[in-house]
Amino acid sequence: MTTTSENIIETRGLTKRFGQRVAVAGVDVSVPRGCAFGFLGHNGAGKTTLIRLLLGLTQADAGTMQIAGRPIPQERAQVLARVGAIVEEPHFHGHLTGRENLRVIAAARDPQAVSRIDGALQRVGLSDRAGDRVRTYSQGMRQRLGVARCLLAEPELLILDEPMNGLDPGGILEFRKMIAELVGEGRTVFLSSHLLDEVEKTCDAAAVIDRGRVIAQGSIGELVRSEHAELEIGCDRPELALDLLDSHDGVAAAQRIDDGIRVTLSSNDGAASINARLVQGGVAVFRLTPVRESLEQRFLEITSQIGDPQ
Amino acid sequence: MTATIARQMIAAEILKLRRNRALMGFTLLLTVGIVVVVFGYLAIQHASDVARHGPAGGTDNFDHAVRALGVFFGMLAAILVGTEAGTADLSSGVFRDLVATGRSRLSLFFVRAPAAILVTLAFSAVAYAVALIATFAFAGSMPTPSAGLILQSAGWIALCNSILAALAVGVGSLTGSRGVTLTALIGWQAVATNLLLSITSLGGARDGLLTAALTQVIPLSGGGRGDVTMATGIAVAVLAVWAIVPLAIGAWRTQTQDA
Repeated sequence: MTTTSENIIETRGLTKRFGQRVAVAGVDVSVPRGCAFGFLGHNGAGKTTLIRLLLGLTQADAGTMQIAGRPIPQERAQVLARVGAIVEEPHFHGHLTGRENLRVIAAARDPQAVSRIDGALQRVGLSDRAGDRVRTYSQGMRQRLGVARCLLAEPELLILDEPMNGLDPGGILEFRKMIAELVGEGRTVFLSSHLLDEVEKTCDAAAVIDRGRVIAQGSIGELVRSEHAELEIGCDRPELALDLLDSHDGVAAAQRIDDGIRVTLSSNDGAASINARLVQGGVAVFRLTPVRESLEQRFLEITSQIGDPQ
Repeated sequence: MTATIARQMIAAEILKLRRNRALMGFTLLLTVGIVVVVFGYLAIQHASDVARHGPAGGTDNFDHAVRALGVFFGMLAAILVGTEAGTADLSSGVFRDLVATGRSRLSLFFVRAPAAILVTLAFSAVAYAVALIATFAFAGSMPTPSAGLILQSAGWIALCNSILAALAVGVGSLTGSRGVTLTALIGWQAVATNLLLSITSLGGARDGLLTAALTQVIPLSGGGRGDVTMATGIAVAVLAVWAIVPLAIGAWRTQTQDA
């Protein structure tokens, strides 16, 4: 595959071993610019290891990586100057205030980073608590301070590892909004998670990693699309409806459900002709709903379960 | 790394140290506190029985204060501060976030030592000033140190504290553990070194001990420690090794460890 700057992250054949265990096995990931990209996997699937490789926190055994078209680790310093990251959970010096913790990180960034501290604190809603010691912060506040720390880099890419962990529903909603705003500003957000529902609601595209291998990637729509589309049809005479569709070319299978029937289509454009056949046959159709598989269902279908042989 | 970045990174390291209240409290106690307590005690003794106890100030007591700030309590303070500087990022988990900024690991390491040295010397300077005031204020009829001796002693204390702080930064960065570093360094400097210095059969092998080399270059009369004497050139070489090798090992570990 050709490397293009349309993708902000590209890895090819990326491999990392810890002794005999292969944590990341020949991973190819392409993350488009300007989107929220989910990186899905069970605990221990290799999500954090891939993030640590991208950030140069550990060295790869094989393969190549590029961020914003530049090779890692060769141009790591220049690349990471515009990347903000939270790996696992955000860590801070508990005895320092939120503002002081940002000063510590800003000092290691470019000279302008210090001037971004107040804006970053305001952005994540921590201005009022910025003078308090971080050891008094809740988990949600620490997550937000972690994002503020990322913003000091004026990042084009944010890498967030399990950012929703430990957040209450209100916090998750706020975080989702914040990610949408960041993407709206043209930044790319790469977030790893095992919270499938959150990734589906937050991200435009995703990759699924299982036991160190990427087994699927694409837009959320592509990932959840079934091989055969299904329709749920609410109608007054389900038995008659099944008889009428028995010989219909566009129907691969049909079965009775509570208030109607469920139809598996043999082609994706058969809904209109099925509706016409039912109405002409004297069935009153009051609902016709495409069945959309959730990301969770799709994820569980394609990934191995704990205890499954590899 | 530009000078501006280096300056702001050292300032950030100093911020981490000076906002650690427990660390600052103990460092103050081991430097200024000890000087105040010792001179205060001597002054009270002298006031209570002038015939039996001499004045609290003067050159002799100045000598004791300088040694205490150089290789006894000042050493403990330097180890405390250096250990904190060497381990704080690792033990808090912030080291990973610092590495993720793209800043080189060597830069992250090498700003720790100047910060630790500056903080240690700030306390030593105050303690030394208090000792000097007490030396002159309580001197009575005793002789007082010359300007040259005062300056040389200040330099010697700074040398002792700087090497110990740098040593602690190096070992702290190697182990990543406050407990291990403090136990190892205080155990080595306060217990093992004194034990080894007293074993005369070790002969010249004792020249390699940090305390032996430091006391060899002390500007005070009485010079080095007991029967351990060495050429000044050898002492300087030993001090250079104690200052450089632990820092090099700490830098290597910081460069190679997974963050």
